[in-house]
Amino acid sequence: MLVKNLIPLAAGALVAMAIAGGASAATLVYCSEGSPENFNPQINTTGTSFDAAFHVYNRLVEFERGSTKVVPGLAESWTVSEDGKTFTFKLRRGVKYQSSNTFKPTRDFNADDVLFSINRQWKADHPYHKVSGGSYDYFGDMDMPKLLKSVEKVDPYTVKVELNEAEAPFIANLAMDFATILSAEYGDVLMKAGTPEKMDQEPIGTGPFRFVSYQKDSMIRFQAFDQHWNGKPPLDGLVYSITKDPAVRYAKLKAGECHVMPYPNPADLPKMREDKDITVLSQEGLNIGYLAFNVQKKPFDDKRVRQALNMAIDKKAIVDAVYLGAGVAAINPIPPTLWSYNTSIRDYVFDPAKAKALLAEAGFPNGFETDLWAMPVQRPYNPNAQRIAEMMQADLAKVGVKAKIVSFEWGEYRKRAQAGEHQMAQLGWTGDNGDPDNFMYVLLGCAAARPGGSNIAKWCHKPFDDLLVAAKRTPDVAKRTGLYEEAQKIFKEEAPWFTIAHSVVFKPIRKEVVDFRISPFGRHQFDGVRLN
Amino acid sequence: MSAEIRDVPPPGPLADVWASFTENKGAVAGLVVIVAIALVAILADVLAPHSPIEQYRDALLVPPVWAGGSWSHPLGTDDIGRDILSRLIHGARLSMIIGSIVVTLSLVAGTVLGLAAAFFKGVTDIAIMRLMDIMLALPSLLLAIVIVAILGPGLFNAMIAVSIVTLPHFTRLARASAMSELTREYVASSRLAGAGSLRLMFMTVLPNCLAPLIVQATLGFSNAILDAAALGFLGLGAQPPTPEWGTMLAGSLQFIQRAWWVVSFPGFAILVTVLAFNLMGDGLRDALDPKLKR
Repeated sequence: MLVKNLIPLAAGALVAMAIAGGASAATLVYCSEGSPENFNPQINTTGTSFDAAFHVYNRLVEFERGSTKVVPGLAESWTVSEDGKTFTFKLRRGVKYQSSNTFKPTRDFNADDVLFSINRQWKADHPYHKVSGGSYDYFGDMDMPKLLKSVEKVDPYTVKVELNEAEAPFIANLAMDFATILSAEYGDVLMKAGTPEKMDQEPIGTGPFRFVSYQKDSMIRFQAFDQHWNGKPPLDGLVYSITKDPAVRYAKLKAGECHVMPYPNPADLPKMREDKDITVLSQEGLNIGYLAFNVQKKPFDDKRVRQALNMAIDKKAIVDAVYLGAGVAAINPIPPTLWSYNTSIRDYVFDPAKAKALLAEAGFPNGFETDLWAMPVQRPYNPNAQRIAEMMQADLAKVGVKAKIVSFEWGEYRKRAQAGEHQMAQLGWTGDNGDPDNFMYVLLGCAAARPGGSNIAKWCHKPFDDLLVAAKRTPDVAKRTGLYEEAQKIFKEEAPWFTIAHSVVFKPIRKEVVDFRISPFGRHQFDGVRLN
Repeated sequence: MSAEIRDVPPPGPLADVWASFTENKGAVAGLVVIVAIALVAILADVLAPHSPIEQYRDALLVPPVWAGGSWSHPLGTDDIGRDILSRLIHGARLSMIIGSIVVTLSLVAGTVLGLAAAFFKGVTDIAIMRLMDIMLALPSLLLAIVIVAILGPGLFNAMIAVSIVTLPHFTRLARASAMSELTREYVASSRLAGAGSLRLMFMTVLPNCLAPLIVQATLGFSNAILDAAALGFLGLGAQPPTPEWGTMLAGSLQFIQRAWWVVSFPGFAILVTVLAFNLMGDGLRDALDPKLKR
């Protein structure tokens, strides 16, 4: 597999060198949607920050570009024990670290770096644990502290990980951004210099691009890393030009000031398709947009009320008007492209009369008053939460439910929704690792229903949770599929959410960009991309 | 009406003002537009073809009638199928209410504060005027945002915020003209005749300070509409589904490339209304200020 990989890469490198020799260096400009909080994916939770740090680093295992398939990264191979609890990773040799003005690496990547990266997040007594706030949300949300029993260095190129319980999605989890491998040597140098927080601001990693500079709200610059273990990427430079407004991003793309832009306005797509210089790539997204009912608050503790609202809102109208055909109405909490999607489940039919009857049965013949939260920003799974809220408000008014639309600044919004301050709140999710566990357990499991957890319906239903935990413990995909299909039935019956839609993801790129692939996880990856 | 009054020789003071006002064509045009908008606002329920919040889900983003739409939605519909003409008509009512309430609040409060500062002088004067200076030092929209952030978003709170922000203009104007009036002989004679402070303030001095205040009120009307629209645009003013012009504009911004009518009409409505008030305010100032008269 190594040899297979090398031939196109070598060819690519030659072409790149020829181009670089003949013309100016190939620099791709990506009009990103916002400023990253920092450059360490271990302490981030937003796609914007993950994108900014992605190319600097590698992980033990990687997702193949444009797919959910897990391929070797810094670990060349691995073995799993019979009981599914012990993982032994063989590390790649001769992997170089990037250098910067302040740091010159003296050694190659080895097991110490893996231990450093995991222990920083795991062990409270690790010297770096408290640096930059010391909050490792993803590590915690993926249940790592509970799951890990020990991480040992067997020899410089072998790492053994023992788990407390078998966890089927474990390998896929290690390909996620939070499992990024930092440099232990860089950590030591910075600690001695007394500036440990620089690790998260001026990143050093083994990835295909080297960090050069960052100006908040303006741009991030990267340079190709020639000594990258997988060969120098075809591009010479990579620039993130930070552009918050989708209309401005479109204007810049049109003018050739950037090559790739994320999150276009759905309303602009027809115009973009007509433009000869722009190609609009699309892919069914690995995502879900939903309206969660807070089951810990009245009147949503009553299943009948939740079901009634599911019947009262016209989903088709929302998908037509707001997603503008770039989405499919959602039935289950996972998208249809994900394995174990239960196709036999029928959605609630839009029927205001029946909804009214059900509300009356639940003791609300004249409806009730509630709040309805709407995100202030455009998300990949929801192009315009405010408009959706207005449509829901109109539908709900017809069955007597008076909804007041509420919104906060985006960071505040997530914090308050996770704390469970709302009655009804819109939110959504883009998958991280292509496993149904990453949707259902994270968004609907009991562990995430705690205040501050990502289960914003605050719904903890024992039979449902038991199925999810059982599916986690077995590596057998057929058996897991059965368990998840059963769980989706319970979900629909209990109705903790009004599932809105799975959106199709669009990436407008200029025609000179070659081999850009849409990541199912919402990342923007440029290491194999070329420019004509 | 004007003709009848003008027939009476010699012209009274009102007729005199009217005569110089009508000389300014722009001001008359502004007045006509304002009267028209006021009528539309009063008769909104009769004039609007549809309910402003009814969503016609089989008619999303229908273009205006001359661009291929139909007569059932003369100015087209927005992205969730609400009739734009009906929303604009009901929005006119909101804008007029916003303007009247804001101007009334700040005119009354500003005049009282200004007169108090002029009459009592000393510490009262300093306290009031320095507070006004502080408020003037901050950009008005920024101050309004701060106030709304404290009170919470909503149409009523937005009106209070805009009234507070426009307060200093009225206060300064009232103080300045009251100070110059206070040195006049008629005030002194009124005082000698035994008039109390309140009588002096409101019966003797105030009527003679009214001219600049009326002009400021007219101009303030347009500022109030504009500021309320700006707050609505920022999501701090009227909350959905209220058909407020600024909110309509903000909600449809993403359609500027695809469906111009959703964005253009509310913007045009704001422009016309604000322009009309400014033109009329200008004309009124020329008419009321004897120094500017030819």
